[in-house]
Amino acid sequence: MIEIRDLSKWYGNFQVLRNINEEIKQGQTVVVCGPSGSGKSTLLRCINGLEPFQEGEIIVDGVSVNDPSTNLYKLRTEIGMVFQRFELYPHMTALQNITLAPMKVRKKSKKEAEAKAMELLQRVGIPEKAHEYPANLSGGQQQRVAIARSLAMEPKIMMFDEPTSALDPEMIKEVLDVMIDLSKGGMTMIVVTHEMGFAREVADEIIFMDEGRIIERGTDISFFKNPKNPRTKDFLDKILL
Amino acid sequence: MGLAYKFDWGVLWRQPYGVWLLKGIWLTIQLGLLGWFIALFLGIFIGTIRISPWRWLRFLGTAYVEVFRNIPFIVQLFFWYYAGPMLFGESLQFRINAIIGLNYYVAILALGLYTASRVAEHVRAGFASIDRDQYQAVLSTGLTEVQMYRYVIIPYALRIIIPPLTTEFLTIFKNSSIAMTIGVAETTFMSYKIDSETFHGLEATTGAMVIYLILGLAVVKLMGILESRFRIAGLVGRR
Amino acid sequence: MRMFDAVIRNLPFLMGGFWITVKLTSFALLGGIPLGILVGLGRISKKKWVYYPVTFYVNLIRNIPLILVIFWFYFVMPIIIGHPLDPFPSAVISFIIFEATYFGEILRAGYQSVSKGQIEAGYSTGLNYIQTTRYILIPIAIRRMLPSMITQSIVTYQDTCLAFVIGLPEFVRRTTIVDNLEVRSIQLFGFVAILFLITCYISSVVSRRFEVKRERGY
Repeated sequence: MIEIRDLSKWYGNFQVLRNINEEIKQGQTVVVCGPSGSGKSTLLRCINGLEPFQEGEIIVDGVSVNDPSTNLYKLRTEIGMVFQRFELYPHMTALQNITLAPMKVRKKSKKEAEAKAMELLQRVGIPEKAHEYPANLSGGQQQRVAIARSLAMEPKIMMFDEPTSALDPEMIKEVLDVMIDLSKGGMTMIVVTHEMGFAREVADEIIFMDEGRIIERGTDISFFKNPKNPRTKDFLDKILL
Repeated sequence: MGLAYKFDWGVLWRQPYGVWLLKGIWLTIQLGLLGWFIALFLGIFIGTIRISPWRWLRFLGTAYVEVFRNIPFIVQLFFWYYAGPMLFGESLQFRINAIIGLNYYVAILALGLYTASRVAEHVRAGFASIDRDQYQAVLSTGLTEVQMYRYVIIPYALRIIIPPLTTEFLTIFKNSSIAMTIGVAETTFMSYKIDSETFHGLEATTGAMVIYLILGLAVVKLMGILESRFRIAGLVGRR
Repeated sequence: MRMFDAVIRNLPFLMGGFWITVKLTSFALLGGIPLGILVGLGRISKKKWVYYPVTFYVNLIRNIPLILVIFWFYFVMPIIIGHPLDPFPSAVISFIIFEATYFGEILRAGYQSVSKGQIEAGYSTGLNYIQTTRYILIPIAIRRMLPSMITQSIVTYQDTCLAFVIGLPEFVRRTTIVDNLEVRSIQLFGFVAILFLITCYISSVVSRRFEVKRERGY
């Protein structure tokens, strides 16, 4: 579904991604972890064209991201993204946040869009909050609305950029539960996170990145029990306590 | 479009128009500088009493600011020029009105009073942005109040106040143009006068625009030097 | 009210002028704010052919006295359209062009305060530039900068007095006309002053309440 070949990116003189190669098949859940500054967030943003890249290729469902003739807006309707700071639109209710894109991009009618939105809110567990503004929602609730907002476009791929890092500990579980549900339902997912419990449960592959490179890959058993690279071991030691 | 208009840029330097403009520029500079002088002193004073511990002083300061800020400058100017002399009673009134160049003095006064209210606001905001705890922190290291103000509070407040003051300094030069309405022969007045003689108001006002732009650049440059001097002499290294 | 007899005698004439002031302010805002929204966008544009002209225009206008702008348009418009223009339309255009730069700078600050993430979130759901700008960037920025925009509107209202110089029979000009007749300057200019004082003060109090009400986490 997603093929990344020899991807490299520079910010000015600083190389933030070095020769990334990866393949993600449909229905797989891939977890990306690593120290901050390793390029994980940048990698996600290259996949949906939010960030340009200088070398290499990314092919999403047959479409080359870097190709000038590619319609990035259309591509983004197929890829959903959930951000660390939720990034809900503060001037709209939860419902309006979710229905904006379906109405304006897929030209759905208000009735249709709202019906679907309510369905999604139900799915993430907070249908009663439909008419609340983000300021009245807890972090965990906001993030769940954000997930619903991305799902509203019925994407083929969902990307998560440290979705629980900005949450208080009590709220992490409710968001992870939604994500586990999604993964088990067959969604193709790329998740940047430090939540290893989540990785252990649903990840088909775990990638460790450092300084712009993929240092190690594995399925969960090999990864956690026997990290090959000393840097990986170092990192795991720090986050697994 | 049918431009039946012949441009004549010579109006800007042909005599006597060139001299008129130069005289106008000189008056603009005078109005701005002298008005700024008054505005600074008065403004700093009022800004300071607005944070003083005495309620009635604070009230006076606030009243001054609200009055002079909410009334348009041109109205204030007219008030002082037309109604001002009357405030001195029948006999003095005529003597005042007979002063040559009265409009010049009134303009400077009005500019000073108006701008002072804005300076006062910036001064107050500058002091208000300093954490109350900052005062206690300094005192707890053993400095006296005077030392605290001299080495910490005032340098810090100045660094906050100087950028908005630059804007006010620019504004006072712009407001000086309003003095033309009471006959002060400054730059804008002159450009209008050139038009009434030559009907080439477009060139004249464009020339005046360039003059104000250059003046503005000079002010920004000047205040920039001031800002950087305070940074170097900075006793509170913030950057 | 013997003190204000000159004012009372001429009240209809004076208030007619006030009405023109209000009209001029309204038109200036109705044109200036939308134009300001666009100017602000131009100031944060990454396209050089948009950024440089807009920045030039903004910096030019902000350094020139309003009176001069009013004069300039008064001289320029007849040349462009071929015949002399009435003071009111000329003043309206001058004000729109002038105030748009100030609103533009206010909104520019507003746009820059919207977190990059919210815009990215919009794009990541497939919205294009116009949609993201229209539904996310502009609404959030306006809500954030509302107090500043109200303050600037009050300034616009005060600035309208300057249309005096091209003969517009607004409030202040009519006051001077009456003053020439009656020479009751203290009353007359005092009246103008007090009226502005009251209207502007009330507006700024209202604006401050908006600042407090903004607990919606914008």
